[in-house]
Amino acid sequence: MKQLFFPVSRPIGWLMVFLISLLATLLPDVAFAHPMPNSVVLLNVHANRIEAEIQIPLVELQAAYGHAVNDSSAGLIERLGPQLRAYLIQHIRPQTPDGRPWNVSISELAVQETQNPINGVYRELTAQAQLVPPVGADVRQFIFYYDVVLHQVVTHKILVSVRQDWARGQIADDQPVQVGIISLDIVNNRILPLNVNLESGSTWTGFQSMLKLGMRHIAEGTDHLLFLLVLLLPAPLLVHGGTVRRFSWGSFGGVRYSLIHLLQIVTAFTVGHSITLLAGSLGWVRLPSQPVEILIAVSILVSAVHALRPLFPGREAWVAAGFGLVHGLAFASTLANLQLDAGPMALSILGFNLGIELMQLVVIGLTVPWLILLSRTSAYRYVRIAGAVLASIAAVAWVIERITGQSNILTKSVEQVAGYAPYVLVVLALLALFFTRRMKQANV
Amino acid sequence: MKKSISFGFLLAVLVAIFFACQDHAVDPGTGPGGTTGPGSGTGTMGPGTSSGVSIEASLTVTALMSNTTSTNTTCSGSTGLANVVCLTNAFLSTLDATQKNTAQLTYSLANAQKWSNLPAGLSARYGVNLASLTATQLAAFRNLMVAVLALHTANEGYDEMLGNLVADNVLYYAGGGTTYGAGNFYVSILGTPSTSGLWEILFTGHHYTQPYTFNGPSGSGYTPAFRGVEPTSVVSNTATGQSYQSMEQERVAFAAMLTGLSSGEQTTAKLSSTFSDIVLGPGQDWKFPTTKAGLRVGDLSTDKQKLVQEAIKLYVNDLDATTAASVLAKYTSELANTYIAYSGSTSVTAQNDYIRIDGPSVWIEFSYQGGVIIRNTPHPHSVWRDRTTDYGGTK
Repeated sequence: MKQLFFPVSRPIGWLMVFLISLLATLLPDVAFAHPMPNSVVLLNVHANRIEAEIQIPLVELQAAYGHAVNDSSAGLIERLGPQLRAYLIQHIRPQTPDGRPWNVSISELAVQETQNPINGVYRELTAQAQLVPPVGADVRQFIFYYDVVLHQVVTHKILVSVRQDWARGQIADDQPVQVGIISLDIVNNRILPLNVNLESGSTWTGFQSMLKLGMRHIAEGTDHLLFLLVLLLPAPLLVHGGTVRRFSWGSFGGVRYSLIHLLQIVTAFTVGHSITLLAGSLGWVRLPSQPVEILIAVSILVSAVHALRPLFPGREAWVAAGFGLVHGLAFASTLANLQLDAGPMALSILGFNLGIELMQLVVIGLTVPWLILLSRTSAYRYVRIAGAVLASIAAVAWVIERITGQSNILTKSVEQVAGYAPYVLVVLALLALFFTRRMKQANV
Repeated sequence: MKKSISFGFLLAVLVAIFFACQDHAVDPGTGPGGTTGPGSGTGTMGPGTSSGVSIEASLTVTALMSNTTSTNTTCSGSTGLANVVCLTNAFLSTLDATQKNTAQLTYSLANAQKWSNLPAGLSARYGVNLASLTATQLAAFRNLMVAVLALHTANEGYDEMLGNLVADNVLYYAGGGTTYGAGNFYVSILGTPSTSGLWEILFTGHHYTQPYTFNGPSGSGYTPAFRGVEPTSVVSNTATGQSYQSMEQERVAFAAMLTGLSSGEQTTAKLSSTFSDIVLGPGQDWKFPTTKAGLRVGDLSTDKQKLVQEAIKLYVNDLDATTAASVLAKYTSELANTYIAYSGSTSVTAQNDYIRIDGPSVWIEFSYQGGVIIRNTPHPHSVWRDRTTDYGGTK
C-alpha cells in the first residue's frame, strides 16, 4: 500500500490511513526458503508442550541410518515405522536448563517429495513429535539436544524455527522465525545443543493477535466483503410489484427503513457465520474447503442478481444468515488449522470473531452513509446496477477459479482493484455528495 | 440528459483516478533500487542476481578462452607480481566505465568471501561475468589467467579451469539451463592492483573458484580455491575438439594414496563420521579444526609420503610454475606433520567418499557427492585452503 492519498474529508481520511497502515503492518515480511540438504524442525509452541514437525531429507538419513531409506522409500513407514520412531526418540532429547529430560513421542511419520531451486526434487521423512517438559518446567526455555542424522553425517545441518507461538501472537500463517542452527562445531569437532529461550508470551497477546487475524481476514477477504456490500446495495430501497407483475426495486424507503433493513441483514450474516465458525473451529463440522469456497463465490452471484432485481424481497436476512453459515465455515478452517488447546481455542474463536465483526462494522460505517445518501437520488439506480454487474463478473470469475484451481485474468484484476478500495470509497462519497447537492438544488 | 452527462463525467473521474493510482502502485517496484554499483571508493553493493546466459554466449567464451598464447605485448617487460599488476591493469583498461565500476570493488573480507560452489544464478557473485565481455576484453582477461595459472598440462592449471567451464556448458544441455555455462563465471578485482598494497583477483563460478590475494612484501595467498566438476565423464570443447576430465587426476591420486596404505594405516586414517560434503566450504572461513584427525604422514614410508605429495601437487601446481614452487616447498617441509584422513571407500568411487589432507598450513578436502543436474552419479567437490594464507591472511 504505497499509493498517495487524495485529500478527503478528515475523519474518513484518517480512518483509511488507519486501515491501510493496519494492513501494511500485518503483511508478512521475510520469505523463508526451505533449505536443503538440511533438516528442518518447526516448533508449534503451546502452553505446556511443543508440537514439532521435523523434516529430514532421506538421502542424508540414509547416510546416517542406512536401511536404504532413500533408495527404497516406497512403503518406508510400513517397513520401518517402529525402528524409525525409536531412532528419532534416541536423538531428540530436549532438557530443562537444569538437566531434566523432556518427554518425547513421535506420532505421524510420512514420506513426501519436495523441492527447492538448489537441490531440485528430493524425498524427505516428516515426523510429528510431541515435546513435553517435566511438570512445572517452562516450555519456553530448554536445551535442545538434537542430533538426528548429524550424529553420523557431520556435514548435516538442522534449522530450528518457531512456526506457531499463540501466546506470542505468532500463528502458522506467518513466516517461521528461526531460533538457530544445529551443526558441527568444526573447530572443536563436537555437536553442541541449541539453547532455546523463547520470549514469554501471554493470553492477552494471543487474544490480540487473533483479533487482528479476524480483522485481516475481512480486510483481505475481498469475497466476504463483496458479498456483504452487494447484499446491502438494495437494502435502502422499497420493493415494487408482487402478485401481478415481477418484483423490481423502487425508491428510497426512508432512513429508518434503511437502517432497520441493514441491521437485520448484517446481524443475520453475523449470526450465521458465528455458528459455523464455532462449530468448525471446534471440529464439530468439517467440510472440504473447495466446495465451501465455491459456495461463497455463488453467494456473491446470488446477492448481485438480487441487487439487480429482487429475488427474495423481504427475506434478505434469511439469505444473509444462510450464506453466513457458509462463510463461517471458511473462517473456521483458519482456526482449525492452528490446532490449539481448548483454552486458547476458545479465546481465539472469540477474538477472531470480534475482529471480523469490528472490521465489518468499520467497512459498513464507511460505506452505508453514502449508500443511503445516494439511494435518495435517481442516480442510485446506476450505482446499484454497476455495482451488481461488476460483482457478478467477479463472482463468476471466482467460481471458475475455485473449480479449476487456477487463477484467471479477472480474479487477478479483482485482487488488484481491491487494493484501491479506499479510492472507490472516495468516489462513492463524492458521487453521494454531488447528487444530493443537485437534488437539493433541483428541489429549491 | 443533463443528469447522464454529469454521471458520465463522474465515471470518467473514477476511471482517471483508477489509472492514476495504478502508476503509483507500479512505481516503487520497477524503479532503480537503493543499491547502485560500487564506486571505486565504496564497494558495498549488493550482488546482482544473474538472470542466466545463453549457451551461445557460453560457447563463445570457451572458444575464445581456448587459445593459451598471450596476445599482450605491453607487459612482457615485467615478471612476477609486477607482471600480474600490469596484466590486471591491462584487463581493467579494456572495460568501459560501467563495467569497471562493476568489476572493481574495494578490498574487504566480505567482498573476498563472495564465492560459492553454487552457480551464480543461485548464489550471486560480484564482478563482471564472462558473457558480458567483448572479444577484446575477454582476450585481456585470458592473458591474465594464462599468466597466473600453469600451462600445457592436461587437466591441470589453465587446462583444468577451461575444462571446468566446458563441463558447465554441458550442464546447460543436461537440463541445467541458462544458469549454467562458462558465461556465468565472474571476475572481480578487489582493491587497486599494486606490488606493495593489499588487493585480490577473484575468479569464481559454479564449480571453480580461484582467488589471488597479493599484499606486497607481506606475502600472497591463493586460497580458498574451490574445485569441483559435473559431469565427471569426458567432456569435449566444441571449438577445438579438446577433451577434458578436469578432476579425474585428483580422484585417482587420492585413491592411490589411500589404497597404498597398509590395512593398519587405513584403520588409523579412517574417520568414523560420514561426510556428504566438504566441511570447510564457502562461508566456513577460519574454522580449521584445532585437532588434526587421521594418519600422520611422517609415520609413513617415503614412497607413501610421495603419494600424499602427489595429491597436494595437483592443487598447488595449478598455479604458475614460480608461485607453485614456493608454495609446494612450504607444504613439503611440513609434510611430516601433515595428516591424512578419509571416510567411505579407499577407491573413491562412491557417494560420500571423503578425503582430507590437514597440515600445519595445507588443508585439502575432497568429497564425492550426489548431483543435482546429473542424478545417481557422484561428482567431486573439493577445496584447497591454507591455515595461514587463506584470503592472504585477512580475517
